[in-house]
Order: sequence, then C-alpha cells, then structure tokens
Amino acid sequence: MKRKRFLAWAAMYAVLLILGVAWTYPIVIAVKKSFAVGGMDNYSAVLNHADFNYWSAIGNSFLLAGGSTVIIVVITCLGGFAFSRMQFRGREFLYRALLACMAVPVAAVVTPLFFSINSLGLRDSYAGVIIPLVAFNVMMMLMLTKNHFDGIPQELLEAATLDGARPFGILVRVFLPLSGPLLANVSVLSFVYCWNEYLLPNLLISSPEKYPVTQAIALLQFERMSQEQIGQLYAGLILMTIPSVLVYLFSQRYLQSGLTAGAVKS
Amino acid sequence: MRSFGGRWAPYLYIAPIVIIAGVLLYFSIGFAAFASLTDWNGLTRMELVGFENYRELFQDRTFYIALGNTVKFMIVTVVLQAVLGLLIAVIAKERVPGSNFFKALFFAPIAMAPAIIATVFKYMLEANYGSLNETLRALGILGPDETIQWLGADLGVWSIAAINVFSWMGFSMMVYFAGLMSIPDELYEAADLDGAGWWRRLFSITIPSLRGTTSVLVTLGIVGSLKTFDLVWLTTQGGPGVSTQFLSTFLYQARLDREAGYSAAIGIVILVVAFALAAVQMRLSKREN
Repeated sequence: MKRKRFLAWAAMYAVLLILGVAWTYPIVIAVKKSFAVGGMDNYSAVLNHADFNYWSAIGNSFLLAGGSTVIIVVITCLGGFAFSRMQFRGREFLYRALLACMAVPVAAVVTPLFFSINSLGLRDSYAGVIIPLVAFNVMMMLMLTKNHFDGIPQELLEAATLDGARPFGILVRVFLPLSGPLLANVSVLSFVYCWNEYLLPNLLISSPEKYPVTQAIALLQFERMSQEQIGQLYAGLILMTIPSVLVYLFSQRYLQSGLTAGAVKS
Repeated sequence: MRSFGGRWAPYLYIAPIVIIAGVLLYFSIGFAAFASLTDWNGLTRMELVGFENYRELFQDRTFYIALGNTVKFMIVTVVLQAVLGLLIAVIAKERVPGSNFFKALFFAPIAMAPAIIATVFKYMLEANYGSLNETLRALGILGPDETIQWLGADLGVWSIAAINVFSWMGFSMMVYFAGLMSIPDELYEAADLDGAGWWRRLFSITIPSLRGTTSVLVTLGIVGSLKTFDLVWLTTQGGPGVSTQFLSTFLYQARLDREAGYSAAIGIVILVVAFALAAVQMRLSKREN
C-alpha cells in the first residue's frame, strides 16, 4: 500500500515538473535575454529611449483601464439592480440581447466601430478607446453582478421599502454594502481585461504618446533587430509586465474567484 | 402593491449600459451587415453590390485557409486546456506538497497581456537565433546548423495554439479545481468501499460530475478561438504568405487593404459562426442537465 502511494506521488510530481519546466522556460528566457549583450544597461536604455516612453505607456494604460473599470462598475451596479429586482416590459428580452454580446469578437466589427468612433469625433482620444473597452467587457460583469444581486434576500428590500427608502437608496445602502467581494471581482477582472486589450487601441489610437503598453511594444521593434536591440526589447517587456505582476500578486484571490464565478454561473 | 421602481425608473437604471454597450455593439453589427453588401473602401465610396462580397469570399482560397486554421486552433486549444487543466486540478486536490506553487505558476500568465506574451514567444521561437532552437542545439536534439521553423507555414498554427495553451490552461485548471471542491466526499468514500481504483474513480465519478464545468469551458474556448487576434497578429501576422491567417487576422488584413465591404462580410461570417456555435453548445448542455 505504501509503495503504491509512493508511486502515485512520483507520477504526480513528474507531471507537475514537466509542465512546470514548460511554463517556466519562457519566463526564464525573457529575464535572461533582457540582460543579453548590454546587461543592466538594457534597462536604462529602455527607460531613456528616444521613441518609447515607459512611464507614459504605463500612465496611458492606467488611464484606459482605470477609466473603463470605474464606468463598468457604476453602470453594471445600476443595470444589474434593475434586471435583478425591477419589473418592466422587455426585461428578459433586453437582458438576453445584452448577454448575447459576450460572443461578439472585437475583430468582427472593427470597421463599423472605427466608423462610429470617428463620427463621434473621438478618434485618437482616450474616450474613444474607453467607450468600446466598456462595451466589450461590461456584459460579463453585468451577468456577475445580476447573479450576485439575485442572491440577496428579498425581505431586506421589502423592509427598507416599508421604512420609506427609495430604490436608489436601497441599492446604495442595502445592496452595495453586501457586495464587497463582488465589486472587487468585477473591478479586478475589468481592469486586467482592459489593460491587456491590444486590438482596440491599435485600431483607434494613432499618436505614439497616447499608446498603452500593449501598443507601445511596437516602438521597440524594428525590421532587422540586433541582439542588443532584442535585449532592450525584452527589458522593455519585463518592465511593462511589472504592473500586471503587482496586480496579480495583490488581487490573485479576486481574479481567481471572479474568473471562476464567470465560468461556473454562465 | 405598485411594482418596485415604478413604471419608468427601471429604464433609467439600464439606460447607461444599453446606450454605451448595447447600442454601440448592435449598431456595429447592423452596420457590418449593411456594409457587407457594398463595395465600401472605408472612406467615401459605398455602393450596393448585393451578395458579391460573399460570392467572392466563398471562392477565396485564403478564406478556407483562415477557416481551417481557426478550427485547428479551436480543437487543439479546447482539448489540451481541458485535459491539462483537469489533470493539474486533480493533482492539486490530492494536496501534494508544493502544489500551491505550481497552481500559482500556471495561473500567472492570465494576468499578463497576450500582446506581451506573443512578443516574447515571437523572438523565442525565431528559427535562426531564437532561444528555443538554441536550447535544442545545446541539448543535442538539433544539429549545430539545423533549424526548426516554429512560426513557419507548417508549424505556425500549432505554435500559436501552444502559446494560447500557455496563456489560458491555468484558467481551465482553476475552474476545474473549483468544480472538484464541490463534488461531495461521500461519493469517493462509497467508491473506496467498493474497492474502486484511482482511474475508476476518475472516470466514473470525477469526470461525469464535472460535465457542466467542461461544457462551459468548451463554450468559452470556442468563442475565445474566434476572438483570438493578438497572438496571431503579433507573432506571424498571418504569414509566411497567408499560411497562418486566422479569420480575425484575415478580416483585419482586408480592412488594411481598404476592402472594408469585403472585411465586413468576413465579420458577418465570424458572427454567424460565433452565435451558432454558442447556441448549439448551450442547447446541448441544457439537454444534459
């Protein structure tokens, strides 16, 4: 029996180690290459680059992801509350029509999207990216929020109504205080998704000083690259991953629970 | 009693989400459907040409290459992510020492931007001076002058699929792990009494109990495959030639070539496939429950 258990453990470790090596390899390579040829100088070269401004790329990403996240949280709380607790004509139809948008790939509608943003006069502006970022990410958050609100006992709402509270007051003073972890899930997920988006800024932003990190990578790449330039590119990639790693370390729990809730309840 | 929120207030609550997201997305879809019937160049020229774009599309060799690549990618990533994710989730549930470290390692790529991951892999997989071939040469698996074209015409799609597995396997693992935790212990205890072995328990308790989870992951994988853009665009840009073109990059290339009407037709095909597959998958999983 003991021997069998030992063999089972050995097999499980073998699987973990093989996959572990495969998952660690790209990370090790990226870190190692970032010091290739120039050593630490690669990092200072990237931070003092002529075309690529690290801090502005980080700032732009923060602005786009942060702005989108705030809007997503506010409008999903309002919408989720109405879809969860209010009766109105077309409720089921509208809710389904909104959730169906989760299947729409950004790529499938790039040209109309570009046309709309351009017609609104928002091309090459932060607002022009934030609006579609919100549109493409808000539906999943609406689903998470509505599902959570559905679980709050109806008695609380009725008691507050008898006390003379108005619907908006009930949302703010009864529902939101009971939704701390949900709001954290929604915020972290929205932030990470918007931070990671590449196609939308690539489509809508044309001035390099407004590039978020995903787009700014292009500023470090050239037609034929020397080993030194590749080293600098890797240094830039490592630097640009630092904020994501920090978000991951500080919010791993919410990222995990948000992602699994989105998958389990849909 | 009057219904909560009155008659008109509910519409105020849903107005922001409907206007910002619903209207923008459905307008875009409707506009794409209309534009697909024109010879629009993205700027000024826009005349109705009927179904000309679709006729051309269904005769375009690149379309079938892109469709084939998208399907290959879909099958490989959905299967590998599910199998590996389940395997690691099962191992993690056994609580072998160190399993939390591995869980964190496999999950970490989810927080990283696919654009950055794609760029790292692009240079790592480069045939001549890329690190992977250098490592294989150092290990003696490849001869000193041999190269493997990881991002070439033959292997490109599979490499891109591997990058996707690297990014998203941790997600399947985490979802399966959450699913495993909700299987009652009594089921396993009863199986132990019957003398069922490890494999027997895996196939007659674990996998059947996780059927719902698997079907959600399959749906998300299918939809995700159609959405995949940056991993392809930033590694091979659909090349060499059109050999690694996906539906999404094929569309984007047509747009860059000022064929806006044609690219809109590709977009409509993608949307039809996305909605149809999602609907079929939902119908199937509903029937099972």
